[in-house]
Amino acid sequence: MESKSRRSFLTRVIGGVLGLGFVSTAWPYVRSLFPNVLYEPPQRFKAGPPGNFSEGATFLEDRRVFIFRKGNAFHAISGVCTHLGCTVKFAPYQKPKERTVRGLTYEAKGEFHCPCHGSKFYDEGTNFAGPAPRPLSWYSLELSPEDGQLVVDLSQEVSRDYRLVV
Amino acid sequence: MVSWWLTFRKKSLVITDWWYDMRSELKHSPWRQLLWPWKPESSREAGSAVVQNFLLHWFPNRVSLKSLSFPYSMYLGTITLTLFLVLTVTGIFLMFFYTPSVERAYWSIKDIEFAVSFGWFLRRVHRLAAHMMVAMVFLHMFRVFYTNAYKDGTTVGSKRSYNWVIGIVLLVLTLLLSFTGYLLPWDQLAFWAITVGTNIASNVPLIGEEIRRFLLGGTIIGQNALIRFYVLHVAFLPLAMFGLIAWHMWRIRKDGGLAVIEQVREETKKQPPQLPRKTKTYSVLGIAKGVTAQVIDPTVLNDENSVPSSPNLTMRVLNVVLLTVLVLTVLALFVHAPLEAPANPEVTPNPAKAPWYFLGLQELVGYSAFIGGVLIPFLVVVGLAMIPFIDREQTHLGIWFTNSTGKRWTWIGLLWGFVTTVVCVAIGVMFPMREVFAGIESQLFFELVNPANLLILSFLGLYYVSFIKTRSHRMAGIALFSAFVISFILLTYIGTALRGPNWMFYWPWETWPIHPISF
Repeated sequence: MESKSRRSFLTRVIGGVLGLGFVSTAWPYVRSLFPNVLYEPPQRFKAGPPGNFSEGATFLEDRRVFIFRKGNAFHAISGVCTHLGCTVKFAPYQKPKERTVRGLTYEAKGEFHCPCHGSKFYDEGTNFAGPAPRPLSWYSLELSPEDGQLVVDLSQEVSRDYRLVV
Repeated sequence: MVSWWLTFRKKSLVITDWWYDMRSELKHSPWRQLLWPWKPESSREAGSAVVQNFLLHWFPNRVSLKSLSFPYSMYLGTITLTLFLVLTVTGIFLMFFYTPSVERAYWSIKDIEFAVSFGWFLRRVHRLAAHMMVAMVFLHMFRVFYTNAYKDGTTVGSKRSYNWVIGIVLLVLTLLLSFTGYLLPWDQLAFWAITVGTNIASNVPLIGEEIRRFLLGGTIIGQNALIRFYVLHVAFLPLAMFGLIAWHMWRIRKDGGLAVIEQVREETKKQPPQLPRKTKTYSVLGIAKGVTAQVIDPTVLNDENSVPSSPNLTMRVLNVVLLTVLVLTVLALFVHAPLEAPANPEVTPNPAKAPWYFLGLQELVGYSAFIGGVLIPFLVVVGLAMIPFIDREQTHLGIWFTNSTGKRWTWIGLLWGFVTTVVCVAIGVMFPMREVFAGIESQLFFELVNPANLLILSFLGLYYVSFIKTRSHRMAGIALFSAFVISFILLTYIGTALRGPNWMFYWPWETWPIHPISF
């Protein structure tokens, strides 16, 4: 009896040591696959002076973000579908329509359509058709203190009432 | 006339003599190591061929006629392995010309297509073999399921259930290999298929975003993602595949051969008992641990129901291999490997589609990313792996569809799967959930109420009803599996052929509207 419990104790100790050894040997290999530095474009970037943007929607292709201008008010909406990350397209209406979303009535200029699984969004970002689970993100806009350019910050989401008035 | 005939006879005799001389010559020459005698003069010699030839060592000494029968196994596993070997060879050659860098990947594929002599051929064979391998792995699984071949049976040491699980892992590895290879051309097709594919992974609860970052080595599909997929595709996954294939083959031998051997065993048992006789096995398993079928019951395979593996099995395998390579080669002359515009993260092609074997999933993902992309694949893989542990009825091994009841439930399953899949897709197309329930904003609601869930429930219902009716997990399994097979085929077809721009539904005779490529 005594020798048996001693054997099981030793088995457990050896098993534990081997397991610990395995984990500590494997750890560097696994950890190396999680990058510490990413050479990706910065999340915060200048999009040009506000005067360059025409009325309505402008798509910044390389950053997949839409800049909307209405008079002197600006806002930025993500062009990445919230379903599986395809780039949505802006489909403008022939004539603006009156629409009520989230209790607010406004003049809608068009819709966003996703080519991958047919999700649709109103032009203020709300998903209304297809599998998209969330509205399109709104990003923070500000003016650069140096040269007055629009600065988009993709790391900072804002509410759908956000406007930058220039 | 008569003289001509005599001359002909004489000449043909000369040729025959020459052939016999050659054969005896070969038998004693070093060439024998490579060119084994095709027509051994005794069983003993046939057995020695298997033991002494490295290429033949994985074959048994004798093989039952039932196992050799083409309608039983259709040699689907052999075809799959052949395709994998073709993929390895063509893949190694393509590696000489391919550069896994974002700047050069696309242009090295262009070079393979237009600058490298026969590069187009290598690439076409590689691509075709990959598609065919995915198809063959599925067909092989269908065959094993329907012939009851995942069951242990009565052979000592037999664990076909383990081999079934290894097979499921091999199925997943095949899909992963194909998927990782899909990104490498770095064209629009590749880029967006991988965008959709990796975003599906991000729907896993809690750690989804982390999984996607780990797969891509960052937050965007860039250099890190390309090199990761490349290394997985050319080193990590093929090595795992080779190891598991070896294990898969070894298990077939340990399990006493194909499951149909159980039929042979039962037939032999019905014969009047014979006197024990001295036998000698030439199996390499003779030196392995444990006992083998031949040793414990040498009377199962006798001169009536079996033949030496060499040359009866080896020649058949050789023919299947040659035929597979022939079909691939001829197809490659006619089927082009597409290469679209270079990958452009700024422009999503419309429609953007995953590889064909994921299009069934993409159809379901169109209803809900979590249900279609995470829950259903999980249920399918786990469900398939559990089949031998739920259905423990150790009868009718090696018989297609088990019996007439099995055939009936196969038809019921196929019909039920067809109808419910059509109904679910029709609901998805005609009554989009967000339009029916326009006032509801809760995402959870749409994860619960959608056609994909209806499909899951209808399948579970089928299993329940067929089990209540038959009290047999095998019969219920046949019904569910058949429903899964037809649903998989149907959804793949719908995703491939009937879904157009904006993932809208189009009948085959309708033309797709032309969409502007860029915004």
